[in-house]
Amino acid sequence: MFFYQLKGELWKLFGKKRTYLGFLMLLLAQLLIASLLRFSPPAHRSLMHTVERSGFGPGRYLSMLTVATVMVVVLAYTMLPLYVALIGGDLVSKEAEDGTLRMILARPVSRVRLLCLKWLAGSIFSAVLVLLLMLGGLLCCGLFFPATGGLFVQIPGEDLAVFGFAGGLEHFLLAHLFLIAKAITIMSLAFMFSCFNMKPAAAAILALSLLLLDRILMEIPYFHDLTEYFVGYHLNLWQTLFQEHIPWWRIGESLGILFGLSLSFLIVGTTVFQVRDIKS
Amino acid sequence: MISLRNLYKRFGAQRAVENLNLEVAPGEIFGLLGHNGAGKSTAIGMMLGQIWPTRGEVYVCGHDVTVHRRPALQKVGAIFETPVFYDYLSGWRNLEILSHYTAPTPAKRIREVIDWVGLTGREQSRVKTYSHGMRARLALAQALLPQPELLILDEPSDGLDPEGIHEMRQTILRLHREFNLTILLSSHLLNEVEQLCTRIAVLNRGEKVFDGTVAEATRRQNWVRLRAGNFTLAVEQLRQAGLINGDRDREFISLSNGTGTDAVVRFLVGRGISVFEIAPHEEALEDFYLALMKPGAN
Repeated sequence: MFFYQLKGELWKLFGKKRTYLGFLMLLLAQLLIASLLRFSPPAHRSLMHTVERSGFGPGRYLSMLTVATVMVVVLAYTMLPLYVALIGGDLVSKEAEDGTLRMILARPVSRVRLLCLKWLAGSIFSAVLVLLLMLGGLLCCGLFFPATGGLFVQIPGEDLAVFGFAGGLEHFLLAHLFLIAKAITIMSLAFMFSCFNMKPAAAAILALSLLLLDRILMEIPYFHDLTEYFVGYHLNLWQTLFQEHIPWWRIGESLGILFGLSLSFLIVGTTVFQVRDIKS
Repeated sequence: MISLRNLYKRFGAQRAVENLNLEVAPGEIFGLLGHNGAGKSTAIGMMLGQIWPTRGEVYVCGHDVTVHRRPALQKVGAIFETPVFYDYLSGWRNLEILSHYTAPTPAKRIREVIDWVGLTGREQSRVKTYSHGMRARLALAQALLPQPELLILDEPSDGLDPEGIHEMRQTILRLHREFNLTILLSSHLLNEVEQLCTRIAVLNRGEKVFDGTVAEATRRQNWVRLRAGNFTLAVEQLRQAGLINGDRDREFISLSNGTGTDAVVRFLVGRGISVFEIAPHEEALEDFYLALMKPGAN
């Protein structure tokens, strides 16, 4: 029965037009970035100089993987959090606002089960969004840049790294796999607020505001020694997958913290929802 | 089928339901009447485990719904005013999604219910293309899918046109007749309640002010219409003689026990007061309801 109910939740999520609007906008953004980096002379030159300045040949490293990584670094901080927060904020609040929640809760399903189903559906959506981000990146960059070149990565705050095509692809895929953890954590935060008696947009805005605040605090130089206490530090675990020697211990630690946070958000949301009165 | 015992609900300082006791027996069509904000929807919300009572017990199908939600609601269907669905999905998909919260439902059962409510041919269309009447039918279909024994209808005729209201009324009677369902109906439409329900309860500001059969409500007081030459004088003399115990609206008198209309006519004519008309008056449910809603009427 759990499977049928989950299928229903997924139908609700993936049956909406605006879900695909998000996917489409993401693809358009990727296409725009890739085409600008290829056809805008100043942008193309700047990208080439970055590779050259580091002592590597642009002929080999100005590739699909390099540009796709440039794109994912930008989108993972902007559009990805926005879309997962919007979806997470919608999951409960929108149904409460529309009145469909009352229809569901006239049935013999427990509130805890219902929220677990919704959270799981939101997590599946987050994973699908990251996978589309990855595929869209490869597709758009593959159109304009050599598909089999190596990977050159220079992420602010991380060490510079270069890989051959096979190694680069492996790191690129692994980074996206762990990016799912970031997406699910942000979705869970918005989901928690969605369980309170508030509008869907308010839940998403609250979640994004908290993330922004966390980021602002993290950027203040005087808080540098406290970096590990910020959620942003752990949300960025996927970036460490681009290092030559992957720090698995740090990744394990961050994954554990993100898992704990997501679980806590789910528990707080469920507790609040459990005691709420659902009215028309 | 439904048993509410000493039920209270407060939203902050606001009193929504106050010491509500209610029993709905199997096979009944029970009407819940009251003005907006009287506590009808709150009471229904508590029956469905959507609103937590501040105090008291709610038993549905023999189970405390606040503790044993699953067995309590297993055989319950519900329809709310202005039915809402996932508009971007088809009627069929909506039924599938909603019914799976009760139990896995075979396609054959969904097909049967769609046929029963008369939505055949439109089940694959998106709900946003449905008229209000079609939405009402879809709402009925989702309520019937779990093969309920109890149907809770919260203002089901709300927003329907006269034909739709008539159709809904016929459907409720058909449901009762064909499936012997117990039905709890909350409505503003007094004539609807009068035509459908065997028993009613009236709520006023969260309190129950009447609980009984519709017949009891309409024959509660022995009112007689009197058209006399001088109504005020007639009432004064009849009261002094102990033949009546009340009057209202300069038109009706309430006879004392054992007094007949013939005695009243004889008495008035004997005192030179002309009598043009005298006839027993059976109150409509509307009169009874409005009288109950007057301040201090309880």
